[in-house]
Amino acid sequence: MKSVLLPLASALRSGEITSVSLTEKYIARIEEKNPQINAFIHNCFDYALESAERADKLIKGGNAPILAGIPFGIKDNICTKGLPTTCCSRILENFKPIYDAAAWEKLKAAGAVLLGKTNMDEFAMGSTGERSVYGPCVNPLNGEKVTGGSSGGSAAAVCARMAPYAIGSDTGGSVRQPASFCGVVGFKPSYGAVSRYGLIAYGSSLDCIGTLTSSVSDAAIVFDGIRGRDDRDRTSIPSPTGKKELKGDIKGLKIGVAEELFEGCSSEVADAVKEAVKLYESAGAKIIKMSIPALTLALPAYYIIACAEASSNLGRYDGIRYGYRASGYSGVDDMVIKTRSQGFGDEVKKRIMLGTYVLSSGYFDAYYKKACIVRNNIKAELEKVFGQCDVLFAPTAPKTAFPRGYASTNPLETYSADMCTVPVNIAGLSAISIPCGADKEGMPIGLQIIGARGADLTVLDCAYFAERENAFAHCDKGEDDYEL
Amino acid sequence: MAISEEEIKWLARLSKLDFEEGELESFTRGLDEIIGFADRINSDVAGDTQSIREVEGECDALSALRPDVVTPSSPNEEITSNAVSERGCFSVRRVVK
Amino acid sequence: MSYEMVCGIETHIELSTATKIFCGCSTAFGGAPNTHCCPICTGQPGALPTLNEKVVEYAITAGLATNCKINAVTHLDRKNYCYPDLPKAYQISQYDKPLCEHGYIALDSGKKIGITRIHIEEDAGKLMHEGGFTFIDYNRGGVPLIEIVSEPDISSPEEAREYAEKLRLIMRAVGVSDCRMQEGSMRCDVNISLKEKGSGAFGTRTEIKNMNSLSHMVKALEYEYSRQEDILKSGGKVEQATLRFDERTGETYVMRTKEDAQDYRYFPEPDLLTVVIPQEKIDSLKAALPELPDARYKRYTRDLGINPHSARLIYAYSNVCAFIDGVIALGGGVKNTVNLTVGTIFSTLPSEGDKEEFAIKVTAGEMAKLVKLLDGGFINVTMAQKTLASMLAEGKAVEAYISQSDTAKVDEGELEKICADALKANPKVKEDFKAGKEKAIFALFGYVKKQTGGRADMRKAEEILRKLLSE
Repeated sequence: MKSVLLPLASALRSGEITSVSLTEKYIARIEEKNPQINAFIHNCFDYALESAERADKLIKGGNAPILAGIPFGIKDNICTKGLPTTCCSRILENFKPIYDAAAWEKLKAAGAVLLGKTNMDEFAMGSTGERSVYGPCVNPLNGEKVTGGSSGGSAAAVCARMAPYAIGSDTGGSVRQPASFCGVVGFKPSYGAVSRYGLIAYGSSLDCIGTLTSSVSDAAIVFDGIRGRDDRDRTSIPSPTGKKELKGDIKGLKIGVAEELFEGCSSEVADAVKEAVKLYESAGAKIIKMSIPALTLALPAYYIIACAEASSNLGRYDGIRYGYRASGYSGVDDMVIKTRSQGFGDEVKKRIMLGTYVLSSGYFDAYYKKACIVRNNIKAELEKVFGQCDVLFAPTAPKTAFPRGYASTNPLETYSADMCTVPVNIAGLSAISIPCGADKEGMPIGLQIIGARGADLTVLDCAYFAERENAFAHCDKGEDDYEL
Repeated sequence: MAISEEEIKWLARLSKLDFEEGELESFTRGLDEIIGFADRINSDVAGDTQSIREVEGECDALSALRPDVVTPSSPNEEITSNAVSERGCFSVRRVVK
Repeated sequence: MSYEMVCGIETHIELSTATKIFCGCSTAFGGAPNTHCCPICTGQPGALPTLNEKVVEYAITAGLATNCKINAVTHLDRKNYCYPDLPKAYQISQYDKPLCEHGYIALDSGKKIGITRIHIEEDAGKLMHEGGFTFIDYNRGGVPLIEIVSEPDISSPEEAREYAEKLRLIMRAVGVSDCRMQEGSMRCDVNISLKEKGSGAFGTRTEIKNMNSLSHMVKALEYEYSRQEDILKSGGKVEQATLRFDERTGETYVMRTKEDAQDYRYFPEPDLLTVVIPQEKIDSLKAALPELPDARYKRYTRDLGINPHSARLIYAYSNVCAFIDGVIALGGGVKNTVNLTVGTIFSTLPSEGDKEEFAIKVTAGEMAKLVKLLDGGFINVTMAQKTLASMLAEGKAVEAYISQSDTAKVDEGELEKICADALKANPKVKEDFKAGKEKAIFALFGYVKKQTGGRADMRKAEEILRKLLSE
């Protein structure tokens, strides 16, 4: 892990490079790499070059924000006014939002240069990056493997150096898990730390915008660029500035290790994470072994709540105000049904139906209400946990990247792969995934560092220790094949 | 199977989805599987059955709500820019062969 | 077998806030289609709602005015159903924790009609079907509503009308809505069932949707009562259904039966936080409640002695009442103030809306001056009416129409002289009068009025003339 953004920012300021030349390089890189990887699904290169020209002026004027002039990619479920935003679904084909998402608005104001929209599982429903109407995203480290998802395109773009950083979203692990599969850093801030305004909803009480970067320092920089309370999102919260320099100070830091978060993990993954724990311990952190029994029900609770909210959030796609409309029908209601049946993919339909089921009058108490109770219990238990320790260490995913096509024949196993990440969303916590090892095929393993809601800086600082110490240098991937 | 075809049809009606006879069976199987997965929630959950909203815990004070002050609306061309529209209205032809 | 009506009313009232419930778009009526719209109220992907503070305040005020308990901790829920006029395919409403509960409205008979709950929610857009197309306008979408649900305490169409009428007057008086049924800012759904007299068990109920006038509501209830009664008397069963009332035929028609009942899948709105209302806020809203129409009616008839007929004409209009109260406070006599208002002023305000608005060019101060001249006998009623009409038209002060000399009363000696002259000028009148033709005296009134330029106190003049005639 090495910062990409800091050297770029200083090169832009020293005049060594310009934003335009940098943007051109990334465009060339995308043109070269993207046909195999399919990380970007809409490009806006002309717009990027215009933004780069403006950014160069801004930088020359002095006092430009650190992200000024640096190109990036943004997940296709975040609204970018006038630019395609489709959630990689047929139902939003040709959709161009009429307003900017809060996070994009902030980056735009900071002079950031948008290269395009990144591939994802349709409506962020999936953990492989394959369920996209634009075709699957391929893992840059191994063409036979998936990127993970749903922010697969964002992770792959950073991994393949098609963008210095990318923005993703995380409802049950959708930033951290693809980061883990692609060997990059994925940061999911506390729920509400980044405004959801303009993030196309999947599970509203779980959705969170996050960052995909090459390093922890970069994650802190990008997070600082998008965080903040927003009056348009009542669930957003203020969070401390990430500008405070990261120190990687872990002396006396209390690290919890919960056995439930290792259940079902491959031995390679479990071993790599345990190695990481030891490394932190040897540097002065205190390890607390614990059990958090409530977590065993986190996964079903997550799927019930996420799908319930999704079934409601996705009701609006009816072919009337935007997106796809079926071409032959026998009445308005029939048009809506045909539009939705043709416009949504199978996984999305399945989750809508499950959500409708768990909210319907006969089943509400048995599923939705119970899931809320479980959520309550998990929150309460985790609150106690963070009374005893500062962070939790866990694997990001129980296994390394799946082979392509595996998920469609093993749906339940893919759901279970979210086991380590969903508790974080259920409780609104902050968590980061950093590469900490590799399996025998050389595929990266992610270490997940989890902190309490609002403890974003604790999480970042703890992860930064590994970066500072170059602790997991043996598993850094692909970094040297691309020098700007 | 935990879910009947009747129930699937009822859910599809509520969800405004339609399944062709051919795909219905495999879809039912898939849904049944995921419901079985969700059903794990019913393995002894103990807890407070208080109002599910209080789970959220966070509150807005009345004074923190939005003041009643008009802000500009979007231009009509913008609102309808992603849709079929006529005379400023979203429009749907009722029957299309 | 005889039956009793069991009826409950759900009333939707549009709140008169400046902006919509979840966005800053204007609620103004009219406007070209989809021009009071934004990403939030058209359900654009990714847009989020923010709750309008005023909506909560108005709903609490409505609850306090109808004797409700206010839930200090409340939240919003999603009611899911798919229809083209509902852009998000869910309506943000309230399910298990409405803002207000357990209130009542007292009818004139003293009977209390319970109010189960009052909750806040958003209105839907408008569909228009034309030439093979459906057109959709979302200007009304997101306009704040309160839904007021009554207990099934209503037992006749007349009680239903009185309940709805009182509700309307209360909501107008506290200023939360103009409650114009024609414009749709107040709509009633009524549900009705019949129960055997003396039995406790309710029958199967039907619901009649969207009544937009009180007289239609009464007619619909009468029709539905006899329809259900006919079914029951012939041994049949009433089918649970949602009905529509056709104003032209005066009959109800089935819109939906139980079979296609909806499942709204309510759940807490995750985009909005729980709202906590401090007790001090509730107290201050309560303290700010104006006098309610029933209390005002009592004060007018009992304390001020206004006759019930006139009191009924004015008590519903807050602005009119404020004006009358102002004139009286400045020394205007009650009777003349009220009579001039319901006569002369109301004749220039033909519509309900005009009276509500009461935008007149005469201030309470000028009106008080005029009324005092009349009270003191300085001018007569005709003169007062004429002057007031001019003031209403031109907006000038009383002095512009009535000069010092006009108000100088004709003294008694002069009046007696003029009366005698009148008799002399009309010699035949005395004869006729003595022969029993009372009306002959009017000819003399005319003479006196003319000679005095209308300044004479005609009561006094009549007294003198009668004396002279009977001599």
